[in-house]
Amino acid sequence: MTYCVKINDREYKFDEEISILQAAAQAHIKIPTLCYNEKLAPYGSCRLCSVEVEGRKTLMPACVTKIENGMIVKTHSEKVRRVRRTIMELIIASHDISCNLNCLNCSRSSSCEIRQVAQEIGIHSIRIPPIEKKQSVDSSSHAIIREPSKCIVCNRCVRKCAEVQNVNVLTVANRGPKTIITTFMDRGMGNVDCTNCGQCILECPSGALHEAYHLDYVWKAIENSDKMVIVQTAPAVRVAIAEEFGFKPGTIATGQLVSGLRLLGFDKVFDTNFTADLTIMEEGTEFIKRFKSQKKLPLFTSCSPGWIKFIEHNYPEMLDNLSTCKSPQQMFGAVIKSFYAQKIGMDRDKIVVVSLMPCTAKKFEAQRNEMKGDVDYVLTTRELAKMFMQAGIKLMDLSAEDYDSPFGESSGAAELFGSSGGVMEAALRTAYEIITGHELENLNFHEVRGLKGIKEACVKIGTQEVKVAVAHGLGNARILMERIKKGEKFDFVEFMACPGGCIGGGGQPIPTNEEVIVERMTAVYDIDTLAKHRKSHENESVKRLYKEFFGEPLSERSHELLHTSYTVRH
Amino acid sequence: MEKIFLKTDFGKTIDNYEFLGLNKALRMKPSEVLEKVKENCIRGRGGAGFPAGIKWDFVAAEKSEIKFVVCNGDEGEPGTFKDRFLLENLPFKVIEGIIIAGYAVDARYGYIYIRGEYEKAIKSIRESIHKMTERKLLGKSILGSSFGFELKLIRGAGAYVCGDETSLLNSIEGKRGLSRIKPPLPAKEGLYEKPTLVNNVETLSVIAEILKYDQNIYLSLGTPKSRGTKLLSISGDVKNPGVYEIEFGKMSIMQIINDLAGGVKGSGLGFVMPGGIATNIISDEQLDTPYTYEDLEQTGSSLGSGGMIVVSKDRDYLSIVKNISDFFMNETCGTCFPCREGNRNINKMIDKMISDGKVGSQDIEIIREIKQAIGLAARCGFGQASVNSILSILEKYFEKKVYV
Repeated sequence: MTYCVKINDREYKFDEEISILQAAAQAHIKIPTLCYNEKLAPYGSCRLCSVEVEGRKTLMPACVTKIENGMIVKTHSEKVRRVRRTIMELIIASHDISCNLNCLNCSRSSSCEIRQVAQEIGIHSIRIPPIEKKQSVDSSSHAIIREPSKCIVCNRCVRKCAEVQNVNVLTVANRGPKTIITTFMDRGMGNVDCTNCGQCILECPSGALHEAYHLDYVWKAIENSDKMVIVQTAPAVRVAIAEEFGFKPGTIATGQLVSGLRLLGFDKVFDTNFTADLTIMEEGTEFIKRFKSQKKLPLFTSCSPGWIKFIEHNYPEMLDNLSTCKSPQQMFGAVIKSFYAQKIGMDRDKIVVVSLMPCTAKKFEAQRNEMKGDVDYVLTTRELAKMFMQAGIKLMDLSAEDYDSPFGESSGAAELFGSSGGVMEAALRTAYEIITGHELENLNFHEVRGLKGIKEACVKIGTQEVKVAVAHGLGNARILMERIKKGEKFDFVEFMACPGGCIGGGGQPIPTNEEVIVERMTAVYDIDTLAKHRKSHENESVKRLYKEFFGEPLSERSHELLHTSYTVRH
Repeated sequence: MEKIFLKTDFGKTIDNYEFLGLNKALRMKPSEVLEKVKENCIRGRGGAGFPAGIKWDFVAAEKSEIKFVVCNGDEGEPGTFKDRFLLENLPFKVIEGIIIAGYAVDARYGYIYIRGEYEKAIKSIRESIHKMTERKLLGKSILGSSFGFELKLIRGAGAYVCGDETSLLNSIEGKRGLSRIKPPLPAKEGLYEKPTLVNNVETLSVIAEILKYDQNIYLSLGTPKSRGTKLLSISGDVKNPGVYEIEFGKMSIMQIINDLAGGVKGSGLGFVMPGGIATNIISDEQLDTPYTYEDLEQTGSSLGSGGMIVVSKDRDYLSIVKNISDFFMNETCGTCFPCREGNRNINKMIDKMISDGKVGSQDIEIIREIKQAIGLAARCGFGQASVNSILSILEKYFEKKVYV
């Protein structure tokens, strides 16, 4: 059926019964919204998308009103604009903007959605004085801070946490002016089943949610001449940080990132990709061992700290299936503070390890009792961008430089860790060659790539078939875990807490949406394709590290430094 | 004078209440019962005045093995207490109406949702359900027919917004009390996503009463647009507040106040909120308005749920405005921005008016704009009506003074 709709005096035809909002978008008309996200269930709370529909007494919310054949819609009439201005004025009054110019120190000072929407609506005067809410900041979490006074209760974080992540730690409470978003019994983000994934931060339009900042600690460490400050860079950061400087998503900025970090004053700039290769050596070997003995299968990956906390809370009975490998971030810290400290003859206490991550959960991971002290501070992509700006560094104008030796070398496989399916693909490349002893002809495992929520494949290694699966986004992780619990058989499963994997991490530039994630993903695979080595076991520096220090994968020393244990949480 | 129609059977017990309406209904076809409801032109008594027969038609037309009838007894509007009167004094008639509705729209399950503070009403309904189940007036094969119906009592938890029908459905399901996005209408996807008929206590009681008669009794009462009688809750500055039944069109507002409620207390009448605090006030010159849906609409106000509040000249109008604003501010579900923030900001502005001792014309202008934004864009009827009386009092008694 065809729907003829008149929007602002022009006829349009649509094939599907879509919402007025979607129809207007197809007609290149942007209707302002604050509570809407096409990936989440419509909620209809901000009412900014209200439009005039002929024959209706009240305005209609475009996000939830479906088009009808013959409908006549006005999206920006005088009446509509006046109502939007009033609502926006009310929102601004409730958003804790004070005359102390607290916009300037907001986490979203450069990416404020409220300001953007206010501009779209054309707020020319503020007649309603701001309401002081005086709600206390929730800093109970190692990873995520909530500033409820800034919250406009659009409910996007609640829906993201529930619908996409299926974690459900946020909720609406109370009614009337006391309506707030909070955690169970107001316990705070650090005291509930929060996985620290930070997807709520990406969803928040108002700066009411942000990461627990480490940048001031890092500045201090850099200033302290007694300390050697070493930074490691995660694979997903180099394909995203350019966005913070106005470049389009998918721009690769590896070399600029390295020179920028040197300019900031880091003593050594190393690469988490190095320990990603190391992880593959350990985890790949662990898989081969479990697969041969058919014990504790399927093996679950352990790189994503959001996923780890999720399984600890929700499926503690399956913790044995987790790989005991530390994540690349933690392996890096452990190697630096043991082998490297020894090698350069420095007291480990004088070394500060900073990691640069697309992730908020990494902040929690670094504080875990099981591996406390390996990594001192964790910066998100957004925090690092702030540091560059504070230092006046125009990152994308810098010329590219190479990582420091010896932890700067990495394979293309390591870069894949940044994307959903990447750990699996990297592990398969190595496991195949170790098991069969033959060179793998086609390195690209397309079945585990892409944005499908749960990806499955049967991979032939020699005479045996290995059944693998990949889930990204904790909502998908839960679906897959339920299938596994019901008895579906897999050998090796990769789990990532964030949609798209680390490139869609809660510490990444805002916006991080599906279109942006696709671009970053393409960049990850481009880096892999162009790499000199594309398999982790071909990394010469990793080989040397085994020769000089660890002996072989799963050796006693590697167990001591590169592996960890987990905590049952209820 | 009062017209006793719905109030018939006052004080009867299970032993002498005859369930005549139900007896007759069960001997008719469901479609005939439905037709009778339509022919009698009953308008919903919850406040919106939507024709009940049309609502019933929607639900009856839905094909579903499970349908529900929900009786809305979450009477939370300040100054409205007529449902309480029915629940406490005529519980069998209320339940009878629910069963008849179930029969007509082919629903076998019903809920009656009663405001939590109505302890006496809750007790009365609970005991009545028990007694009626014992006498096989509820449960399988009611009065020996093939029709069975189960009724469950739900006690509200104190949120005014749950009186909105979709919020009420959420509340029964154990969810947060906030209005649902329509469509789908409850008639299509209501309680537990099943076709659901939601009717007010008075509406269902009226239907039980009408079914007693072979002729269409309602057509001989009231005016063409306002059929039958209406229970009025009168409160405020009157000598005899209470619940009165009147025939539509037979009395003016002034007659109701003087003849039924015993006249105004104090030094004279200030203004009247004819349909409760969500309706515009009417003042002296409109007091001759006959009490009907259509005549009250003419004045720019509304009959609402029939909660008439009378205010004497002696009152401090600004503190009344503040009281009304407090109510709406605290009772919004807090979901949609215009209603939550609009009512909060209006309240702040009224606070300031009281502390400054003056009402600025710009304040009224802003409140007028907020009212328009809420009225045009809020999520549900609660918000849309929340500023009516506040603005109408300010406009009538404070705005003019600025220009005089």
